[in-house]
Amino acid sequence: MKVENVEPAKLTSVSALRKTMDDYFIRLKTAVETKNKKIAWCTSVGPAELLYSMGFEVYFPENHGAMLGASKMADKYIPTAVANGYSPDICSYLTADIGAFLQNETPLQKTGFKTVPKPDVLVYNTNQCHEVGDWFMYYAKHFNVPILGINTPLWISELNDSILNSVASQFKNLVPELEKISGNKFDIDKFKYTVGLSHDGCSLWRKVLETAMHVPSPINFFDSAIHMGPIVVMRGTQYAVEYYNILLNELNERIKNNISSVPNEKIRIYWDGMPLWYKLSSMSKMFAGLNTCIVASTYCNSWVFDDLNPNDPFYSSALAYCKLFIVRSDSEKEKVFKKLINDFSIDGIIFHDSKTCSRNSNNRFGLPVRLQKETNIPYLEINGDLCDSRCYSEEQSIIAIETFINQLLSRKK
Amino acid sequence: MYKVGIDLGSSYTKGVLVDNNGQIIEQYVVKTGFDFNIAAKKIINNFSQNYQIEYPIYTCGYGRDDLKFETVSNSEIIALAKAVYRLYNKKCSVIDIGGQDTKFIEINEIGQVDKFKMNRKCAAGTGSFIEELAFKMDVPTSDFSKIATDATNEVKLNSYCTVFAVSEIIGMIKKGITIPNIILGIYNSVISRSIELSAISENLVITGGIPDNHPLIVELFKKKFVNCESPANSQFLAAWGCVLLNLNKKTEN
Repeated sequence: MKVENVEPAKLTSVSALRKTMDDYFIRLKTAVETKNKKIAWCTSVGPAELLYSMGFEVYFPENHGAMLGASKMADKYIPTAVANGYSPDICSYLTADIGAFLQNETPLQKTGFKTVPKPDVLVYNTNQCHEVGDWFMYYAKHFNVPILGINTPLWISELNDSILNSVASQFKNLVPELEKISGNKFDIDKFKYTVGLSHDGCSLWRKVLETAMHVPSPINFFDSAIHMGPIVVMRGTQYAVEYYNILLNELNERIKNNISSVPNEKIRIYWDGMPLWYKLSSMSKMFAGLNTCIVASTYCNSWVFDDLNPNDPFYSSALAYCKLFIVRSDSEKEKVFKKLINDFSIDGIIFHDSKTCSRNSNNRFGLPVRLQKETNIPYLEINGDLCDSRCYSEEQSIIAIETFINQLLSRKK
Repeated sequence: MYKVGIDLGSSYTKGVLVDNNGQIIEQYVVKTGFDFNIAAKKIINNFSQNYQIEYPIYTCGYGRDDLKFETVSNSEIIALAKAVYRLYNKKCSVIDIGGQDTKFIEINEIGQVDKFKMNRKCAAGTGSFIEELAFKMDVPTSDFSKIATDATNEVKLNSYCTVFAVSEIIGMIKKGITIPNIILGIYNSVISRSIELSAISENLVITGGIPDNHPLIVELFKKKFVNCESPANSQFLAAWGCVLLNLNKKTEN
């Protein structure tokens, strides 16, 4: 069974995606150059809606980390951060990003930036991990600018009022500080409007992901990991809404015309954990060559915040950002897995144990074994990392993945 | 005409010559080196001296693809499982300890792979761990098992990092712990790393070049697990499995 690499069907929406992302960076660059708007740095599942509604341009260091990983530049920068006191065992988005900053380099220089846009404020939410706080603290000290945060309790089972009211209050408490920094008065109607747009963008993103319920799937995880850019960095803007309408139309057309992402889809996989950004393209071709489509993932599904409600923007923001998969207890995560396994007709699960991202590695507390006992869906664990390619053995992983697909095929016979 | 199965591993390349009934006629092993083609050719040439062999050659292992002759490549895990099931015909766990990989395979009642796991990306629990420590201790690995039979005490080698293990051994030597006891500690470390890959089922089969060349490891496994077996020349099983997988295919067709 020599496996040939196969190119999955290309999405034509890529050109619209590129334009949407380019325009986003142009807006950021304009803010840097003209100072027409203040710049807020925000974590990827942070309060983007509040920041956009208060007139900030919003920059997301995690998006930058993913760019460093995907452009295979992270390995060059991580050692610099390590040499400056950051452990190679902590978030490699953080080490790649700070290392690049210390070397005064960024992929954004290709689009005319001199450096990453200087922040006027850094705003984090610890719902995903506390490391984002440590990360932002480095820049807050370096630029001597305010750092604000929402501290979300971890390992949430029941989403009760005591948690949600506390988090909603923290959202509200950001307002006076952000008013001072932005120079703009908070306008509840603008916030409601932005939350509404975020809801609409997230709903469309959900629909995009759910097209993969169709057999064969019109989209795969490697596409989604790229096409999620707008929902990460433009959540709460009309730009994300416009883009996902375009993408959704293309995917629905594919379904209508029976065009699948993977030409000969036989196996459907759920991917848990971070993408290996530096292997996105080669993995995409390898899985397509194995007639396998990764149809659902914890990662891409994490940006579905459709609990956002413009009629109750603060409380619903708290709800949406506390309901996030990564901040939930394993028992809640298991419910999500079971639903997605069922909805997406999953044959097997691949858990990527990401060396530097324990919060996104859901295989570490017995979940795969429990899940297999209950669902009888086989799983595979592979070791790697989101950005640090030194943590990944390609040869070993390819053998494991090929064997796993073989195992799943033999179960289908 | 005879069929040939070749397992092109990271350290050694193992070949088997198989008749049409799936019986192994001969087996041959060479160091892999840096050229999989050369290693595989050595196997083929060796068998060709006395037998007429047929192509394709059935391959598995790191070097299974892109060889300069007609091959059918297979997953070494599926191939090994096939061979083990052919031998024992029962549900069992397999621990395969090779030069660079340690693998756990769970085979179900009908011979399918239910689950498998490979070692994490380091030398712990693999042949490389033993080789590195043997090099540092200046003791040939081929003498390890013999020397370790003189062990009087079970010392525990705590570190799974090979570099840390070397410093730990230096500490042991300074404390006067004997080489046989240290080697026993190394063996137990390899076993501990391999059995933590997964929960082991009632029956355990140990395979690979390491147990073949370090028979004491098999004995130590047997002390821990009542229903534990290790067939002779077990490092050739994956190569044999490659042929068996394809024999069955023809039968099915």
